[in-house]
Formats: sequence, structure tokens, C-alpha cells
Amino acid sequence: MECRRADGLLSGLIDHELWPLSRLRVTRHLARCAACAGKVEELRAVQAAIRTKLPYHRAPPGLAARIGAALPREAAPQAARPWFRLPAFSLAGTGLAGAVAGVALTLLFVGGSDDATQAVIGSHIRSMQVGHLTDVTTSDQHTVKPWLAAHLDVSPAVRELKDAGFPLVGGRMDYIDGHPAAAVVYTRAKHVINLFAWASTGKDEGFHKETRQGFNVVTWRRSGIQYYAVSDVEAEQLVEFARLVAQ
Amino acid sequence: MPQDDRRRRFELLALPHLDAAFNLARWLAGNTADAEDVVQDAYLRAYRYFDSFQGGNFRVWLLTIVRNAFVTWVKENRSGRMVFTPDTPVADTAETEETLWGSRPSDPEALLLESIESQTLGRLMEQLPAEYREVLLLREVEDLAYKEIADVTGVPIGTVMSRLSRARLALRKLWLQHADTEAAHGV
Repeated sequence: MECRRADGLLSGLIDHELWPLSRLRVTRHLARCAACAGKVEELRAVQAAIRTKLPYHRAPPGLAARIGAALPREAAPQAARPWFRLPAFSLAGTGLAGAVAGVALTLLFVGGSDDATQAVIGSHIRSMQVGHLTDVTTSDQHTVKPWLAAHLDVSPAVRELKDAGFPLVGGRMDYIDGHPAAAVVYTRAKHVINLFAWASTGKDEGFHKETRQGFNVVTWRRSGIQYYAVSDVEAEQLVEFARLVAQ
Repeated sequence: MPQDDRRRRFELLALPHLDAAFNLARWLAGNTADAEDVVQDAYLRAYRYFDSFQGGNFRVWLLTIVRNAFVTWVKENRSGRMVFTPDTPVADTAETEETLWGSRPSDPEALLLESIESQTLGRLMEQLPAEYREVLLLREVEDLAYKEIADVTGVPIGTVMSRLSRARLALRKLWLQHADTEAAHGV
């Protein structure tokens, strides 16, 4: 492959979007072309800078309320109170995202199904409320694991995956379907990954992924522990994350 | 009440993605007030067309509507100013590899993007054309796959790849220029 042709495929390479044959050809080219290999590093640097440094603009307080007020009201107004007037909205001062998430969760339990996937998504949303993400905040796996073990009857895998791009943030106690569960929190760029774990009887099960409400969920069972990884990172990356945790 | 159920389902699906919707709109529109208008319009549209959501990734569906609401908003409020310029064949042929990559910096330290300040990066980002900003946002911040970016922006997957490539190089170029200027001023 010539440099000229490889050049058009370098972004596809770092995004894991090339077909296997193209990927093979580009990789072979990079092995013997230092100039193109250097370009890949530069593209990766741009990618990493945006992922880690670009300011993130959260929705300003009041926007959710404005939208709620603007939604058409032809529906019976005497029915359930509109979400933007629920008490949870008073949390707005502590960060609107949290307030909105809290309300969404309320609705989730009112109107959603009660299976585990639904429950972990609800907990994931709630966890992103300010101050609810972690009970123990540390990037040290040797702190998180004993903390969870001391508070729960399960001892899930806790790994430091910073080098793989999934830094550990901490852990917390959570409740899924009324049962205590461990939640180990990681991040990926600006996204939160909640890894839920609870004791479960049954045989080991491989990875299963599904998408619901715009969130990706990867589940597996290992050594009597049921795992649910929930995030809005790409499904493929969440599976990669799951593999790293489970290995 | 069916109508009430519909609204509840909509809120349940749409509210958790309000930050993502706003962040995209904010980077496209360039300021908070306009971004709020775009997002509000997008949510009203999404509610109106909610029945046409066929399942799949709701965030991608919603971001598509935010993006389209922005395009409409531009037409109505910034008439005459072309924000989304099509990838013209002229640009494809005129931009050789040389001009895209620019001159290679003699000092590799100049490429240490790790040292860039968030604010500086934000300012450089704002200088990019909207169609570059949008693919970078969708790819690096929203973590969407090429197919999903193609769905949101309405261009073929091949175009997504080349546009992303150009966008990254354009940002790199701005960064190099910025680093040069800083160096010239002895900062």
C-alpha cells in the first residue's frame, strides 16, 4: 500500500472502523513506514486532547423546566404531575443534570418495567446526580475492593484500567431490585461507566450486550457474581471494558 | 391515559440526554442562549415525532434532531451565512497531502497536545467550520460509531471518515499555529 492510500485510512484505523482486510494492509504499511506511523500518533494525540480536554457544556438550570412547560399539553392535565414540578426539581441548585436524572428515576419506577436491566439503568442515571457517584472516591483498586468487601456480601473484580483508557474513580453501595449491590465506577473520556455486581447463583455466562434508552448494557456472570456494566460509551468499547474487567 | 403515557415515556427517554443535546448544540451554535433555543426546539420536535422512533439508540435519534434543529435555526437566524459547507470536490483535489498535514514541525515537543489548556482547545475548536466541529463532537465526546455519525449528519460513512480526518488535521494545524505564536511571543 502507498502512503497516499494509507493516509485516507488512518482515522478509520484509530477509530477501529476499518474492515479487517484494510486494517491488515494499513497495519502492514505502518510497520515499514515511519512517516505514516508518526501521523497515526499525531491523530491519536488530537483525539486524546479532545476527549480529555474539551470543555463540556452541561444544560443550564431551567432549561428542562422551559422545555417541560413548552411541551404540548393537550393531554389531560389532571393526570400525573408534570416532571418539572416534582419535588426533586428543588435539587436544581446542586446541578440540574442530577435533578433531572432524579426525576427520570422517579418516573422509571413509576412507569418502567422492573427487570434488572431497567433497574441498573435507573441506578446509573441516579448515580450521576452530584454527590451520588461514589461513596469511596479513589483510583486505588486496593482501597475500593476492601471497602466494598466490608460493606457487602460480594467481592467483585476491581481493576485499575487507566492505561486501557478506563480510569477507576471509586465505588459505592447501591440497591438493585431491592437487593444490595456493589457499584464500581470507572470513566471513559467524559462518560461514566457503572459496573454493578451482586451475588447470584447459576453457571458462568459470557458477555451479553443490549441497548436500551440510549444506554449500552453488557452483562456476564462469573464465579457466583452477576455483573452489569452500564454506560453511554459505544457498545464495542463497553464490551472491551467488560473483557478487561473479567480477564 | 395514552397521551400521558406517551409524554411520560418521552421524558423517561429524552431527559437523561439533555446534557448531551445541549453540549452538541452549544458547540454548534457557539453560545448558551442560542443553544438553549436549539435544544428546546429539538425537544419539541422530538416529542412531535416521537411515534416515529423505531427503537434502537435513542440518543442517536435525539442528536439527529438536535442537529437538524440547528440547521433550521441557522437558516432562520443567520440568513446568508453558510454554516454547513458541503465537502466540495474542489477541496478534495486542491488539498494535497502536503497542505492537509502542513509542514512537519521540526520540534516534536510542539506536538505535545497533552499540554494544551482546555480553554485554548475550546477556542481553537470554535474556529473550525461547523461540519468539522460536529463530527469531532459526535465521535470524540459522544463516542458514536461512523454509521451512527452518518445517520446523524446525513452523509455516507466514507465521508464521515474523510471529514473526521480533515477535522483532526485542521485542529492540529490550528494548534501548531497557536504554539508558534506563543513561542514567538516568548510565552
